Amino acid sequence: MAGAGPAARLPEADGLPAPEENPIPPPLPLRTELSRLEIQRYSRQLVLPETGVRGQLRLSACSVLVVGCGGLGCPLAQYLAAAGVGRLGLVDHDVVELSNLHRQVLHRESRLGTSKARSAAAALREINSAVQCVPYELALGRDTALQLVRAYDVVADCSDNVPTRYLVNDACVLAGKPLVSASALRLEGQLAVYGYRGGPCYRCLFPKPPPPETVTNCADGGVLGVVPGILGSLQALEVLKIATGMGTSFHQAMLIFDALEGRFRHIKLRPRNPDCAVCGDNPSVTALQDYEQFCGSSATDKCRMLCLLSSDERVSVEEYKQILDDKVHHVLVDVRPLVEVDICRLPQAVFAPLSKLQEKDEGCLKSLVQRICEARQPSSENKAFPVYVVCKLGNDSQKAVKILQGLSYQGLGLISVKDIKGGLMAWANKINPEFPQY
Amino acid sequence: MTCEVIVLYFARSADLAGVRTETISVPQQLTSLQLWDEIVKRHSRLAAIQDQVVFAVRQEYVLLGDQLLVLHTGDEIAIIPPVSGG
Repeated sequence: MAGAGPAARLPEADGLPAPEENPIPPPLPLRTELSRLEIQRYSRQLVLPETGVRGQLRLSACSVLVVGCGGLGCPLAQYLAAAGVGRLGLVDHDVVELSNLHRQVLHRESRLGTSKARSAAAALREINSAVQCVPYELALGRDTALQLVRAYDVVADCSDNVPTRYLVNDACVLAGKPLVSASALRLEGQLAVYGYRGGPCYRCLFPKPPPPETVTNCADGGVLGVVPGILGSLQALEVLKIATGMGTSFHQAMLIFDALEGRFRHIKLRPRNPDCAVCGDNPSVTALQDYEQFCGSSATDKCRMLCLLSSDERVSVEEYKQILDDKVHHVLVDVRPLVEVDICRLPQAVFAPLSKLQEKDEGCLKSLVQRICEARQPSSENKAFPVYVVCKLGNDSQKAVKILQGLSYQGLGLISVKDIKGGLMAWANKINPEFPQY
Repeated sequence: MTCEVIVLYFARSADLAGVRTETISVPQQLTSLQLWDEIVKRHSRLAAIQDQVVFAVRQEYVLLGDQLLVLHTGDEIAIIPPVSGG
């Protein structure tokens, strides 16, 4: 199956394909014996009765598609390469950034700005040159996913967004491949194996995607690097168990890791849902769909861009700079959580976290109204007093504008509330390069 | 007859509930959907994620619906929305 078709070709000798092509390598041969060097290299796992020579040979004939070379994909691929898996397909459309290095442990300072897929492949080759590493510099999409998934034996979902999770799930169900899935955020992680030995697929558990505004990513929510490190390592373990023939403990169970408590919980899951849209008895999903549309969010944007306000309710960072230069009287309200205010802030800002505004916190609203009243000049009493709202990226600020526009307090007078498009990160990018970016 | 069960809120559900764990008093016999409703009564914002959670009773998945549960004091109820980060 794999390797058939006119588009298929072997990867280049250096394993670095041209970015616009998706090489589909031929199946790996099942070998009958290990070389002397392989015996030496893998001796500590060869003496394990659960793996043994037979398991090692199976592993060397196994190919694993790693979807995402980030916080999960790096530790996963590292252990799989070290253990002697036959081939690793490394999918990532992104480039290495400074803010990745605290958790994406295959990437190096020297590779900042270069492709994550290639950076990971280069690091893995240093660990084990016998493992074929095939980088795919692309965002997995409906047109590429099925072909790639079919060419590999096991798929590891190490992605960081909801549309990709549904895409990978559906592709694995359609191709009949086991999906070892992990995820991590903040101080929590989850692990499960989907579509394997009668167990559920991702859609059996989560038939409807969450509303996009309720989804938090690592940039917004934060993540302690070792948490995806732990989950990616556990994910590698399940891949190894499947590849060597030991089987997995998670084909009908989910592992929940609570890093704060230091506790793992094993949740027994339902079996496959016969009414599931993709793996059920009468599936409605028989080909890959448009998953960004299905989930209402993008698979490649690091940050969602909300559009809640009209253009006359927003100013650009350049316009706000002009307002400062012209010394226009105004109040700037920073609505970020206090933990982010501690990282960096504009000196003129007053602070009112969005969460407090949303829960209509009396103390917070009162002190904000007081600050606005103090700043308002007596002479301009009849004119709407300008209030600008800022956050990190210009999403929360729009929500805050909506709340503040509905504010009615005695003595507040007329105010005109607008937000600053792109937030403090746009300020750092376009106005003040010394302002920290996080 | 009521009993005291421990509710664990994971990921997004902890944000919405404002707590990570709590003990609540519920009827000993009720359906899984009634148990969910008891929890949503305490934290109305959880209603938004009803269709996007794994609901587990004594560490076992339970479909939200008519399934009758017999609970005992100390039983662990877990609300597990998917985490998608990586």
